[in-house]
Amino acid sequence: MSGPENTTPETPEDGVMRDDPMIAAEWALGLLEGEELLAARGKAATDPDFAWRKAWWDDWFAPLTDGMTGAEPGNHVWDGIAARVAHQAEAAQQTAATVSLEPAAPAANVVMLETRVRRWQWTAGISSAAAAVALALLAFAPGRSPVEAPPQIAATTAPMVATVPIGETGLRLDVTYIPETERMLVAAIGLTPDGVHDHELWLVPADGGAVQSLGVVTPGEVRSMVLPATITAKLGDGASLVLTREPIGGKPEGQDAGPVVAKGAFTRV
Amino acid sequence: MAARPRPSSDEAREALRDAMARLASGDQAALEEIYRATRVKLFGICLRILGDRKEAEDALQDVYVNLWQRADRYDPTRASPIAWLAAFARNRAIDRLRTGKVRSNAVPVEEAAPLADETPLADMLLVDAEQAAQIHKCLAALDDRTQGHIRAAFFEGYTYAQLAEVADVPLGTMKSWIRRGLQRLRACLEASEAA
Repeated sequence: MSGPENTTPETPEDGVMRDDPMIAAEWALGLLEGEELLAARGKAATDPDFAWRKAWWDDWFAPLTDGMTGAEPGNHVWDGIAARVAHQAEAAQQTAATVSLEPAAPAANVVMLETRVRRWQWTAGISSAAAAVALALLAFAPGRSPVEAPPQIAATTAPMVATVPIGETGLRLDVTYIPETERMLVAAIGLTPDGVHDHELWLVPADGGAVQSLGVVTPGEVRSMVLPATITAKLGDGASLVLTREPIGGKPEGQDAGPVVAKGAFTRV
Repeated sequence: MAARPRPSSDEAREALRDAMARLASGDQAALEEIYRATRVKLFGICLRILGDRKEAEDALQDVYVNLWQRADRYDPTRASPIAWLAAFARNRAIDRLRTGKVRSNAVPVEEAAPLADETPLADMLLVDAEQAAQIHKCLAALDDRTQGHIRAAFFEGYTYAQLAEVADVPLGTMKSWIRRGLQRLRACLEASEAA
């Protein structure tokens, strides 16, 4: 024993500061769930120090896995991997050919494209990289491809997240939607105003319905908004987000939306 | 494969590092090499966390498909490939647990056909010994109870709530025990880095 233990009930913090390195440790150990897990993932996506600390703990804990007995997976596992990789390499080529993300595709085309690619979820898994957010990432880097997501049991109250990388710039939007509060958080990380353009975020419903504006994003800030029911009704698995470049103030009334600069899909956490 | 002499662990490590680099540069064939070298360890991890062979196999597939997609996320200056892959696999398995699809350890691990007991690590790459020694040393410096809970979290994939239930203590109590343990663990590990 190294010190007296306080066993009094209801002493949640008990003088131990729950700073970021502590939260990273809790996450690395796998202790977090629900909102806390979501918050940690979101933070890792936007805070390199936090992501670094999570990786630090992961590295230190990794040797403990030597204590887990190895086991031989069935032969079909490799076959499955090879098939998925081949399938997705092919799909990626098709998709890359369609969505070169030359900023010219009008939003309507994106809706059509979305219908074609919806069967692929875009996931990249959790890693120590700062880019990791929740279970889903959309990567548009050439040569990379979408990955089939494991089927998810839809929990209607589960928070939803989307990451919208902007080309290969390293800039991206992180979007989190929390159903209970009908609140959406939009973080535009690394975006800086150029004085000429704004970027407007659009919801593309999974049912192929009309694209709906979620407003102009605020560069370098996290913005919280309460969504109207007309929009929350359209938020579900498969709903995706499109970011367009517009004149200052957003898409002018009566004109077509500007070029699509980025795109991402929602996934439940 | 069986006819060849088993490479020493250093050679295996070096081959893995090389394959990871090739995968990152787009060489798809490297994925199979990585799979051959690491599947036993990574499957053992998935199986331990998920407690169900089918779930663990699904998780394992996701691990390698994701690896293929984003091999560039591995930073060779930071962690050894096997350490990184082990953490990657465990994180994926924990994610699966937390998405609610799987009940933790639904099937006793014993039923899941591990390798023969006498050679549990025969085909399994191990994480670097030096790093391993330090984490074990720092864990061992904690009191037994705290150490036990931290190990249970790591090995069984338990949440705070589950640990509290198993130990039959209030959630807040369990949180303070573990947080104090993690605080000491961090101090010990950082001291070893500084040394």
